[in-house]
Amino acid sequence: MRAQRVPDRAVDCRPGREGVSVTIDDRVVVDFDQHSPDYRASYPQISHAVREQCPAAWSTHHDGYWVISGRDLIGELAKHPEFLSNDFDPFGDGRCDAGVAIPAPKGRTTRGGFLEMDPPLQLEYRHVLNPFLSPTAVERWRPMVTELSRACIDERLDSGTIDFVDDLANIVPAVLTMGMLGLPLVDWVIYCEPAHAMVYTPPNSPDFLRVLEGNMRMGAKLVEEMEKARVHPREGMVKALVDAQAAGAPFTDDDIAGTLTLLIGGGFDTTTSLTAHALDWLEQHPAERPRLRDDAALLDTATEEFVRYATPAQGGGRTITQDCVIGGHQFRKGDRVWMAYALANHDPAVFEEPDEIVLDRFPNKHAAFGLGVHRCIGSNLARMTFKTMLGQVLDDLPDYTIVREGIVRYEDIGTINGYKHLPATFPARPRAGLVLDEVIERWQGILDDGSFWA
Amino acid sequence: MRVHIDPDVCQGHTLCHMAAPDIFLLREEDGHSYVATPEVPAGREDVVRKAVATCPEGAITLEE
Repeated sequence: MRAQRVPDRAVDCRPGREGVSVTIDDRVVVDFDQHSPDYRASYPQISHAVREQCPAAWSTHHDGYWVISGRDLIGELAKHPEFLSNDFDPFGDGRCDAGVAIPAPKGRTTRGGFLEMDPPLQLEYRHVLNPFLSPTAVERWRPMVTELSRACIDERLDSGTIDFVDDLANIVPAVLTMGMLGLPLVDWVIYCEPAHAMVYTPPNSPDFLRVLEGNMRMGAKLVEEMEKARVHPREGMVKALVDAQAAGAPFTDDDIAGTLTLLIGGGFDTTTSLTAHALDWLEQHPAERPRLRDDAALLDTATEEFVRYATPAQGGGRTITQDCVIGGHQFRKGDRVWMAYALANHDPAVFEEPDEIVLDRFPNKHAAFGLGVHRCIGSNLARMTFKTMLGQVLDDLPDYTIVREGIVRYEDIGTINGYKHLPATFPARPRAGLVLDEVIERWQGILDDGSFWA
Repeated sequence: MRVHIDPDVCQGHTLCHMAAPDIFLLREEDGHSYVATPEVPAGREDVVRKAVATCPEGAITLEE
């Protein structure tokens, strides 16, 4: 451990290039904002420019925050939860009140589940949810994910067109998340649009109020579901959280609702984004499609590589809890920090040819699932869902062509590096006759039967 | 060669298991990694070195 509490060293950074940065006190200041259009347009290049200034640079946007872009440094920080807080506690009894979003949303009173908690409470939530998300546990969902993917694609076969986001990658993770939570599978449509829109709609958009209202309705619906789970429980994560509360854990209704919103956001949007990135890249590298389809070991390494390259969840905010020096960099109590996983994942000191997708890259110590105690709890589920959806596309639509002029990326990729639309064409052919709604209905029966969960 | 996983540092990324599923096993309850025996079988040294290099948390150490 290279952290120490007493700050006795100045920040050790190379001098900034003229016109790009200035040094104030002992910090290297950069003009950087992950929510800006520039960042969206050229994030690998921006990533290098910022890292070359300093792996811990100070952005003056959003009231000021550290941008941690060095892969080694971000790993070192993640090992020190005693100095870094995720806490968002508007009532003042937690360690911090800023949470993980930079900038912090105004007027918020509920925290984003266990992602905005510190240990030990955070670990209690993970302890309840881990059994649903371990590698073994997620495998039992593979048949459902396969059938859903097949049906989504089959419904488009005779048209010769598909939007990989709207018609596949938005649907499958959403239905799956409903199943894991123990909510009615058909309700995926209620949560889908609000969950995605909340991530890609900037706060200054004319549409933001509508999106916010949709999310508030979603929150109210989740509280209703918690009540139902107390009376007529369905197996799943909602029941597990409510039962844990009944067993005496300090889980409040607000925090359970926040956790469900977190699981929906995490479950829906990130895998969608990953799948879109991979399908977009594979369209431009058609020779790789059959290789990936036929080689499971290559699909394993390629999955990690797509996750590294795209880093669907671009980073996370933290608050420094006391003056400290970590990895030779000095931080002050109250400083805000952006753990820039996306930037760290393009660090040339760790990744050879960092801006290339190398399908068999391994070792690949990417930080795309986060690092430390907040490692993405759904990482195993994301891998399984992604591989299944991608494999189904490669099987069923091996010769798809992306309609490039129809691609719509998220306006702001600072939270999730996603696609709103990824339309494609392929030679139309007769359908096998699978119907998504029927697959969903059949799987609802299987989940309600109970033996699935045994 | 002997291999160790620091259980306080491992966060369940599972990449070591991807490298060498026969050596790095995953706990049922949370997918965190453990080894059945620290002794690395002859001929598996290189793949274990890869697992060390790919661990995002730096949780795996070797005694050569």
